[in-house]
Amino acid sequence: MSELWIPLMVVIPLICALFVSALSRFNKTIKVIALVVAIVIPIIPFLSNYGLHIFGGFLPMTDSITGMVYHPSIVYSFGVLQKIFIVILGILAFLVLLIYINKYKKASGPYIFLLFMGIAAVTALLLTDDIFNMFVFFEILALAQVGIVAASSLDNNYEMALKYMILGAIGSPMILLGVGFLLAITGSVNITDIVAAIRMGKVAITSPVFLMSCGLIFFGWLYASGLPPFHTIKSGMYSKAEPHASALLQAFTVISMVSIILIMFRIYSAVPIFEALLVVFSAIAMILGVTMALTQTDYRRMIGFLAVGELGFIGLGIGLGTQFAITAGLFQAVNEIIITASLFIGFGAIAYLSGETDTRKMGGLIGYYPKIAILVLISGLAMAGVPPLNGFQSKLMLVQASLSCGYPELSLLAIIVSIATFVVFVKAFYTMFLRPKPNTLKISNKKAPKSMVFAMVVFLIIIIVLGFFPGIVTTGISQFAGGLL
Amino acid sequence: MWLYDKFFEAVKKFKQLFSGGPVSNSDVSGTLAAEFLLIVSFCLVALLIRHVNILLSGIVVLILAIILVVNMPLIPKFKSEQEDSLNKMIFYGILTLAIIIVFIYWGSAYV
Amino acid sequence: MLFTQLSVLITAGVLIIIGLLAAIFIDNIIKKIIGIAFIEEGVNLFIIAIGYRPGGIVPIIMPNVDKAYYAANAAYPLPFGLVLTSIVIGASTLAVMLALAMVLYKKYGTLSTSVMLSGNSKGEGKDE
Repeated sequence: MSELWIPLMVVIPLICALFVSALSRFNKTIKVIALVVAIVIPIIPFLSNYGLHIFGGFLPMTDSITGMVYHPSIVYSFGVLQKIFIVILGILAFLVLLIYINKYKKASGPYIFLLFMGIAAVTALLLTDDIFNMFVFFEILALAQVGIVAASSLDNNYEMALKYMILGAIGSPMILLGVGFLLAITGSVNITDIVAAIRMGKVAITSPVFLMSCGLIFFGWLYASGLPPFHTIKSGMYSKAEPHASALLQAFTVISMVSIILIMFRIYSAVPIFEALLVVFSAIAMILGVTMALTQTDYRRMIGFLAVGELGFIGLGIGLGTQFAITAGLFQAVNEIIITASLFIGFGAIAYLSGETDTRKMGGLIGYYPKIAILVLISGLAMAGVPPLNGFQSKLMLVQASLSCGYPELSLLAIIVSIATFVVFVKAFYTMFLRPKPNTLKISNKKAPKSMVFAMVVFLIIIIVLGFFPGIVTTGISQFAGGLL
Repeated sequence: MWLYDKFFEAVKKFKQLFSGGPVSNSDVSGTLAAEFLLIVSFCLVALLIRHVNILLSGIVVLILAIILVVNMPLIPKFKSEQEDSLNKMIFYGILTLAIIIVFIYWGSAYV
Repeated sequence: MLFTQLSVLITAGVLIIIGLLAAIFIDNIIKKIIGIAFIEEGVNLFIIAIGYRPGGIVPIIMPNVDKAYYAANAAYPLPFGLVLTSIVIGASTLAVMLALAMVLYKKYGTLSTSVMLSGNSKGEGKDE
């Protein structure tokens, strides 16, 4: 029971990744190691105390003349928010690994390595209080995502991976340049030090260098979170990964988006145009994501665009900038991870069973796979924000928050986009499950994989519990948001 | 009648969007919904300008609505701009970078 | 002495702009990747230029160096540490990009991005 557990949240997945990769010849061993570590990951946050971990034991130094405190080493800070997201990520990672290990008789060591590298990178992004460390793990995350997509056996996955990598190679140097600007004007890469320097007036908020760093890191954040103009590549990545992997990929996206935007919010919340940019880009993401989803015929791509559109709600909540709005946005992030993962796995099960991804050639599947149909239906309703599921709670909070901030047009937009999400979902559900089966569709006699159904049932339980008792998550997040302002 | 003809022409053009495969009415109605969603939501977002200047927002919303309705089959245009071509993605990415930098440099005095 | 720092900063800016232009306008995938590596290198150069100090000494404490002299003259060591990490990251992304480009060259027999990464050519995007 101490703060020593904090670095272990990153170190354990990293070490496990190395072991699994090194022992990839021994099939049974890596399966066991992966499952055990996946069980351990969501447990560690409960063992640890809230607090800071300072690497290398270099304690903060106080400048005796100015009274400023400097942090000479990397600091990880662990709080309620980090705990919530790491637990959710851990549960998701366990279910994803379970599906993977059940699906393939011969587990691939390097593939599990990539999954664990991604988990470690995302956890570090959440914990870190050092803006350069953020950049490093951002890059590791991008490489892990590319690897996961390149390892899938779908058509044209290499093209998508290379496109993502090239766009990333434009986006991430921009983050580094922004970090460089911040380093140049504050002399530090520790976020607490930077914030202190800004609060004490050592950095002029209107200085062009400071504003440029805001714009550059914002651009990198757009790439990390897949908001426009990167929504096409992000949805493409989701549709070219295997279904369980895309469930994990979207969780990576949501968590990296949340953690980077919270870092930016701490540094730039005094810059008024930062919040305006955030709201505008989130609104455009909502519109473009849902309109593109309405016109897709490949259902994996459709869910990919919907996932991007839903990200806009998170950005909207944080962009409004009040305690209630930030709580709503972060609660939406938690819900989105669970709901979208459930949808990806559900539609992935359909793709596995029917071998068809074009909605125009499908139909009548409810008679063959009623269990999956019902589970997909409930997750889809949760995504569209139907009461009493968890999506409804967070979207209602967002609508209230934007009304109370004096932006009724944003509440209207949120409601319209929710309705459009519902339309997308009803259209997909009708064409896939309800209308008469076309003669060309061949149904194999395979049974739905038990691990996939199990994962969806677990998600369903979380969806319903959070729908009835949102306080489990929101009280903690609300505390955190209060501390942020 | 002009507006009706406009909508009807737009719906006919949706057929070309779904190349290679039967076009069902659910696809066309989904695309039509997307069309209206685009017009309505872009006008709503443009309303945000009222926090800067009320008169300006009125003018912008009117002009935007007229432009969007006149160019009515919007979805084929939007879709061709958002396809999986690397060159288009990079172009829009760098364009966005330029827009962000311009807004953040010259726009921060007006927000 | 300011001239040195300024010229390095301008070089960094030129490298970044060349890289961005190459990313938009060059069709050959290998040249595009080289251009993108330019952006990375330009940013690294920029961060090194931040740590520059006219007449500064190496920021390593030697056994018989006067502490006060060291504190007054040492260059700022943090940017160099950051750039070292960033170079390693840049090399690994470059390796992954080139490896993927190689795989795609074997598949399509061409290096043109408008053929192999267009999203609607013969092999790609047929499920649209």
